Amino acid sequence: MFEIYQKGKTILGMNSRNLRFIRPNNLKGAKRLADNKLKSKRLLKKNGIPVPGLIAKIRTRQDLDNFNFSSLPNSFVLKPNMGLGGEGILVIYGKKKNQENVWVKADRSAVAEDDLRNQIRNILDGSFSRTNIPDIAFFEERVKLSKIFKPYSYKGIPDIRVIVYNNVPVMAMLRLSTKGSEGKANLQLGGIGCGIDIASGTTTSAVLGKSKMVDCIPGTRLSLSGIRIPYWQEILELAVKSQQVSGLGFLGADIAIDRDLGPVFLELNARPGLSIQIANTEGLLTRLNRVEGLKVKSAKHGVKLAKNLFGGEIEEEVEEISGRRVIRAVEKIKIIGKKGIEKEIEAKIDTGAYSTSIDEDLARELGFSNVIDYFEKIEKPKKIKRGEGIEIIKKMRKKHLGKIKDLFDMSVVYSSHGNTIRPKIKLKYIMDKEKIISKANVVARGDLEYPVIVGRRDLKKFLIEV
Amino acid sequence: MYSAFVEYAVSQGVPLGTVTLILILPVVVMIIAFFRQVVGIKAFGIYTPALIIFAFLAIKAEAGSFWDGIRYGTAIFVTVIAVGTITRIFLKQFRLLYLPRVAIVISIVALSTLLMLILGGAYQRTGLASVSIFPILIMITLVEKFVAVQIEKGKKVAIFLSLETLFISIVGYSIASWSLLIIYLQRYPWLVFVAVLINILLGKWTGLRLLEFIRFKKLIKNV
Repeated sequence: MFEIYQKGKTILGMNSRNLRFIRPNNLKGAKRLADNKLKSKRLLKKNGIPVPGLIAKIRTRQDLDNFNFSSLPNSFVLKPNMGLGGEGILVIYGKKKNQENVWVKADRSAVAEDDLRNQIRNILDGSFSRTNIPDIAFFEERVKLSKIFKPYSYKGIPDIRVIVYNNVPVMAMLRLSTKGSEGKANLQLGGIGCGIDIASGTTTSAVLGKSKMVDCIPGTRLSLSGIRIPYWQEILELAVKSQQVSGLGFLGADIAIDRDLGPVFLELNARPGLSIQIANTEGLLTRLNRVEGLKVKSAKHGVKLAKNLFGGEIEEEVEEISGRRVIRAVEKIKIIGKKGIEKEIEAKIDTGAYSTSIDEDLARELGFSNVIDYFEKIEKPKKIKRGEGIEIIKKMRKKHLGKIKDLFDMSVVYSSHGNTIRPKIKLKYIMDKEKIISKANVVARGDLEYPVIVGRRDLKKFLIEV
Repeated sequence: MYSAFVEYAVSQGVPLGTVTLILILPVVVMIIAFFRQVVGIKAFGIYTPALIIFAFLAIKAEAGSFWDGIRYGTAIFVTVIAVGTITRIFLKQFRLLYLPRVAIVISIVALSTLLMLILGGAYQRTGLASVSIFPILIMITLVEKFVAVQIEKGKKVAIFLSLETLFISIVGYSIASWSLLIIYLQRYPWLVFVAVLINILLGKWTGLRLLEFIRFKKLIKNV
């Protein structure tokens, strides 16, 4: 009993958050600034912090009547200026063709001009603001989903929440939207929060909703740990800078990563939630106590302190123990083709597959057209039963190997669409500074997202953070 | 038996029941604050549970027994919430603005409450039928709070908060009906300042709430 009470002292609860951290550090004016999205946007922008561009503001019903909806771009976000916890936000992904002023949401449902008007009217009436006071609606540019988060995000833009106290980024988490949260990343709406190692910007553990620990994205086997967040240093520095600008002494900074622009600042939060502790499986109170009263000279200094104080050296540890490198589920590789052609692409690391495979079109670009053309012409058995594969391959090897350069081998690829014989080529590529010579199946991967799948055979020197 | 202060108030024409209820109020709100800060039960703020506790007390005063207060009070509470939810779902398709929509919800809830009272009378539940307008009105206004929470935080949270509110109301009502407490308050009215003192302590309390120990259970294990 007493032990539990003692351990509870490392955790930040509602009472101490409100009394010890929000009350003395977030003064009224600063809190009001955080609750006013337009005002904080303006201030952040003025101080050189990148924010999503403002498209239009609607302050009154008159503004609404005069507003020309045709002037809106194809994709945008409609927000209430003083909305709470992600409520009342409408994310528009595209415009419907052939229809006047009809847009589409993330879930492909249509949004007509009347729907937008109704939503704006509700915003103006204060349906989403604290204590229902009349509000302003505004349109802003939509942050574009960055490639690295594509597999993890369900119809929404992930963002990174950083708790900043005394100019030190104390704790951080990556928030992902799920099916349940309707494309919004707020935990209270059912999003996922992944704890982040402050030093490396790599996710560690994850929480679904307010308190459920999860390893994978529900319904998939996509692991939530080991996601390496790009622009990590920049994100932490932005978070600290936003504290200096806003005057919020205890701040939850929300930052997203735009595909083209890099980190963009989404929101200042004067009352950050407590689930970040569950996502990180660590109490916040100890960390806050450790940075209290430190003299922090600059944003860079604050970030450095945080990395030293709170960075768990997870990766180095794993690498030291196993002697193997740690890579991500989607990794950049550089393929070295024929005649010195080099291509840098993103490959999917799939421990479920034994061999590596490469898309036909990419193989052609790398100079393997001869193999593919040759293979298209030759006679192949149409239907292959499971047991027959080895025999058929033996025959085909006798007939074709050596007939054409670069045809290294052949193999039967078993799949749900039927079993086919595919050519194999010798593929050289570099992954995480390691040179690999692989025997890759050439397959028609067509519209699949990743042109190369790296199989178990090539992964002996790596640990995969899936 | 009563303190000089209470005697004086009564002699000036203030009904004893009113004096007692007012003296109980500080205790009731202290209990609600305690549930929020130490236990972690949120309910619909402090105002709504306090009002509901008084609605329960009013029902008791009219219907007679302690159990009638809980029984009929809970019946009206559940009816109000259920009808409110159904009406709101039904109204969704019409896409109305907030205030007119809530106005319709309140109207329909009011009519259903009336229907319930009539039915209660028809089935010889005279205690229910004779409940005065004051507690009923309080319960009906609860619907606005409920609808607002439903819009802001979703159905699940709203229902959860309603249950919490009901729980706090029943506990608060039980304490407020405790005859010993009433006797002591009538004899020593200054006891209300003890409640204020406890509130000051609660207001400085920075420890984890009981329910937070459960919420952060895994975290505590990992530390």
